[in-house]
Amino acid sequence: MDKQSFTFNDCLEDVINVYANMVYRIAFSYTRDKSNADDIFQEVFFRYIRKKPIFETEEHRKAWFIRVTANCCKKMWSSAWMKKMVPLEDNIKFEMAETNNLHYELKKLPIKYRTVIHLFYYEDLSIEEISKTLKKKPSTIRTQLTRARYKLKEILKEDYDV
Amino acid sequence: MFKDKYYSMNEEIYPGNQIINKIKSKYKYQCKRSKLKMIFSKPIIIFIVLIICSFTTTPIIAYNVPAFYELIYQISPMSAQFFMPVQESCEDNGIKMEVISTYIHDSTAEIYIALQDLRENRVDETTDLFDSYYIHCPFDTMATCKKVGFDEASKTATFLISITECDNKRITGNKITFSVNKFISGKHEYNHIPVRMDLSDIKESNSKEVSLIGGGGEKYGEYVGSNTETNNAIVSSASMDFPVKGIDFTGIGFVNNMLHVQTSVIDALNNDNHGYFYLRDENENIIESAYSFNFIENTNNGERVDYNEHVFDVSPLEIDKYSLYGTFVTSNLLTEGNWRVTFPIN
Repeated sequence: MDKQSFTFNDCLEDVINVYANMVYRIAFSYTRDKSNADDIFQEVFFRYIRKKPIFETEEHRKAWFIRVTANCCKKMWSSAWMKKMVPLEDNIKFEMAETNNLHYELKKLPIKYRTVIHLFYYEDLSIEEISKTLKKKPSTIRTQLTRARYKLKEILKEDYDV
Repeated sequence: MFKDKYYSMNEEIYPGNQIINKIKSKYKYQCKRSKLKMIFSKPIIIFIVLIICSFTTTPIIAYNVPAFYELIYQISPMSAQFFMPVQESCEDNGIKMEVISTYIHDSTAEIYIALQDLRENRVDETTDLFDSYYIHCPFDTMATCKKVGFDEASKTATFLISITECDNKRITGNKITFSVNKFISGKHEYNHIPVRMDLSDIKESNSKEVSLIGGGGEKYGEYVGSNTETNNAIVSSASMDFPVKGIDFTGIGFVNNMLHVQTSVIDALNNDNHGYFYLRDENENIIESAYSFNFIENTNNGERVDYNEHVFDVSPLEIDKYSLYGTFVTSNLLTEGNWRVTFPIN
């Protein structure tokens, strides 16, 4: 991660370059759907543009993006709109069949565990860091992670060492 | 290891350039708004807009003058909604699709969409979205789409989409995603053209049973039956001389004392070439087909061929009194892309 600090006005493009993939991947990990990830991705950056938040360090900015993305995911999932929606066909195809299978299997993981799994396994955040970022108790994160791993073992069976 | 697989899977996931450009555009738009706010105070803007409104009230004007819309938007989103509350667009393959305005009333949402070619002349006055547009919304709907205008100078075609909620309930809240993945243009119409052939030479034809994919006509129920899945079609021959480019004339003959006229279209799902035949007697009276039906077959190289067969209730004994005519529409340009706009409908 680039540690340089950006000012909002002259470096929006830099901010997008650094955080676009992270935001999009968190959104996708939660929704497992490209269309919904697109919506969340836009919403997060539109909030960033509207609010013009100021951060002391890049760690704070990163935490802000992670927290807002997670909140947008939850908000979208609990909306009346989402409850009425019929999912479209899968609109993402991975290069390898094995990766496609993993994607389909991860869809079976309960929604509430997906962000924690992503932050732990992909963003390499510790339980303490996840807890600070999502503003939840470390014990809650630890419990969620344990349950998520248990569920993953059930879903993935012996194919992967979780 | 799960971690490795999960990591490599995520490396393949990233946002598209289109969505990133949209955010950058939004940012530039916000910057412009901020500057406008600094230049004009609210009362001045209200005064200017009231003057403008007294002379111009149509959304089309607002569409053609984006600055005008931006000005209205400074004051009140409600006023902006009256004119063109959406202003969402996307661009792909050099084609821009914009949702101009919406009008929601009772169980119906009417949406004006503009399609503009930014590079070439692929959008013309014959542009047709045919069956390639999709409306993704959280309620069951019926939808229709018709072209309402074309501006030659800006190469922009405007369509009106009407969506009606099936339960006839009032449409409230929520949002709609409108997407288009292809459109056809360069249409050519062949209206009431004679098909030059001596019908008295028409013989009894060999027939075969085909699986129906559709059909219609006044006597379809009588001759075919609404629940029947097969029918006898004439055996296709090599394409005969026919004046319509894009439609092959593949057979004409009698089956069970009824005249069958068969045409075929290759790749019909991507060109929408179609038409119909009718007969004229010596007194210029028009005799419509009793029914028509459709079926599909594949060529040797796997191409889908859509067949259409018109059947006339005319016996071989009286066929020499008639002449064959037809009306057809073909298109010569298919443009594909991924145009998708999500917008609120309240």
